[in-house]
Amino acid sequence: MPAFDYKFQKLEPIRSFKSVPEDEQYLPGHRTCAGCGPALNYRLVAKAAGKDTIFIGPTGCMYVANASYLCTPYAVSWIHAQITNAGAVASGIEAAFKMAARKGRHTGPFPNIIVMGGDGGSVDIGLQAMSGMMYRGHKVLFICYDNESYANTGIQTSPTTPYGAATTFTPPGKEIPEGKTLFPKNVPQMVIGGHPAVKYVATTTIAHPLDLMNKVRKALSKPGPTFLHILCPCPKGWLFDEKLTPDMAKLAVETGMWSNYEWEDGVYKYTQVPKKYKPVSDYMKPQGRFAHLKPEHIAKMQAFVDEKIKQVQRPIPVAAPVPAAQHA
Amino acid sequence: MAKESMMTGCRAAAEGAKAAEVEVICSYPIRPYTAIMMELAKMVANGELNAEFIHGEGEHAQVSVVLGASAAGARAYTGSSGVGVTYAMEVYSPMAGGRYPVQMSIADRTLDPPGDFGSEHTDAMSTRDQGWLLGWAATPQEVYDNTLMAYRIGEDHRVMLPQMVCQDGYFISHIPDKVTIGEASQVKEFLPPYRPIHPLSLTNPVSHGPQIRPDQGAPMDAMRAQTFLAVPKVIEEATADFARIFGRKYDPFVEQYKLDDAEIAFFIMGAHSNTARTAVDKLRKEGVKAGLARLRWVRPWPTHQLAEALGHVKAVGVIETSTSYGSAMRGGNLIHELRASLYDLDDRPLVTSFMGGLGGETIWPADFDYMAGVLTKMVKEKRTDRYVYWLGM
Repeated sequence: MPAFDYKFQKLEPIRSFKSVPEDEQYLPGHRTCAGCGPALNYRLVAKAAGKDTIFIGPTGCMYVANASYLCTPYAVSWIHAQITNAGAVASGIEAAFKMAARKGRHTGPFPNIIVMGGDGGSVDIGLQAMSGMMYRGHKVLFICYDNESYANTGIQTSPTTPYGAATTFTPPGKEIPEGKTLFPKNVPQMVIGGHPAVKYVATTTIAHPLDLMNKVRKALSKPGPTFLHILCPCPKGWLFDEKLTPDMAKLAVETGMWSNYEWEDGVYKYTQVPKKYKPVSDYMKPQGRFAHLKPEHIAKMQAFVDEKIKQVQRPIPVAAPVPAAQHA
Repeated sequence: MAKESMMTGCRAAAEGAKAAEVEVICSYPIRPYTAIMMELAKMVANGELNAEFIHGEGEHAQVSVVLGASAAGARAYTGSSGVGVTYAMEVYSPMAGGRYPVQMSIADRTLDPPGDFGSEHTDAMSTRDQGWLLGWAATPQEVYDNTLMAYRIGEDHRVMLPQMVCQDGYFISHIPDKVTIGEASQVKEFLPPYRPIHPLSLTNPVSHGPQIRPDQGAPMDAMRAQTFLAVPKVIEEATADFARIFGRKYDPFVEQYKLDDAEIAFFIMGAHSNTARTAVDKLRKEGVKAGLARLRWVRPWPTHQLAEALGHVKAVGVIETSTSYGSAMRGGNLIHELRASLYDLDDRPLVTSFMGGLGGETIWPADFDYMAGVLTKMVKEKRTDRYVYWLGM
């Protein structure tokens, strides 16, 4: 069988704020909290992707607080997926459009198929479906909007919740003073390291909107599966003043808690790398979820971040992706 | 000319899916249904079937992939057996609630523990509250025929519901029998292309599956219940059309065998009905007025058709090939709904049940002699001693 010709759109990079599209695909009318990072992210992603887009929304904040019957905020087609199965539902949608194109029923551009999954729906309960999709090579952009907890159910720990964070499942107490004792999963490395069909993986935050939108566009221009890990601070879950949402994301990058990078054809490129990293306590201090920590816990976090920063200088080498034809 | 050949139920299911020109298929291996996917994989590899064949990473993914495909407008097909059927459980209600008319071919297998390859209906029966159409075939030919009929019924705009087309593992799925494959022209006349109503689209944006408020729930549930009331008519039309076009006639809901003057009757579905039919013949020769009612659809349940078919009989023995431990009748599933179907009759039959074929065990001719004995005694004594008898114990 010849490789499928996706006829997907070439989305041009956005050079400056002046050239950001005015059209909104994620509209007002949702019920997210004041200062919601994931909602801001949704708006930027939808803007960058444009009208020829289909969103898959697994259960999470961006389902529960957005998609109210008869007044969803999506100007493009959107479908709910279970928190478990967004990657699989997206795979089926992609396959259906391929068949529709083969049989001449669909003649327009191949849709930008985007999964908007929370951390749980991406790398915890949704991991299997996401991995299956990445492995099989469907042309889908899978976005993990990371607010570092199961927020819509009342702030429970997820595999991306940082060490030391208080959540309703990791409350600090006499026996367990630091709250969460585990360190988080390395989300992008799981995708990069285990899935040879993946074309592009990048990380960014809502404090870097141009970077975010351009990474969306670059991901959508690849002929196979792509993945974005986007830090989306959550005032309700992290317990900070809601006007500080972008500042929290910025501080995460400035302290080394988070790094913005892209991985393209086996090559890493880091952006927004601080000349000198701020101490991680600068990031933790404004957040109530870390308020209970003692100096030794903060030192443990600093040691973790120091190790992370070393990776920025020496990225983990991984094999180059396999040729497109094998996964078309 | 349509041609007849020997094939298993699995092959017949695959031939049905091929005839239906399914566009997206999602596979995952589990015995015994696996053979359906092995056949389809060959058809796709050989270019006989133009379809996307996706290797799911589990049954939950299989059902999720075909949900996405159906939402985007494709005719989609998957299947499973045993614990594979139950592993996908989460996705059945979103499928039916989203009104995605995919088809899932089930070759029944016992649930664990213990590990057992044998057929038992509990796997698919445990999905019966999820809003799917659910029916059983009794021969490989009926598997092929039901595959086409279920798509036609499920994709009808008065219905728009997913379908489980079930067959007993091994007894049907792996024992070859004569099957006539339809002509392309017959299939074309019988089964129109899938026409989705609100597919995911770039030109006409839609939202599928948003959150509702509690007060919006009841009306939606009522609409789905209303839909199920409309399904029987569509089943009757499709079954009649099928007979006209393919020349094979089925009772739409309940196969009735020698029931007209029957005093005792077996109520059964699936493979063991073939033994039951032979047993009825033997009992008749011995002077016992026995008959047989074979259920073709569990959902929708043919309440009135069963009251009509069995109302005049004196005693009915329900042969249960599924379990519902701790239930009202202490054994299987079918007896509850059969008893409920007969309840409003002035002079209703006595009804008991026989647990048989569990774990894939054969129900032997001698078992039918035993059951006929129990039913005859019930008629004589005008009472039901027990809710349930366990065959072979």
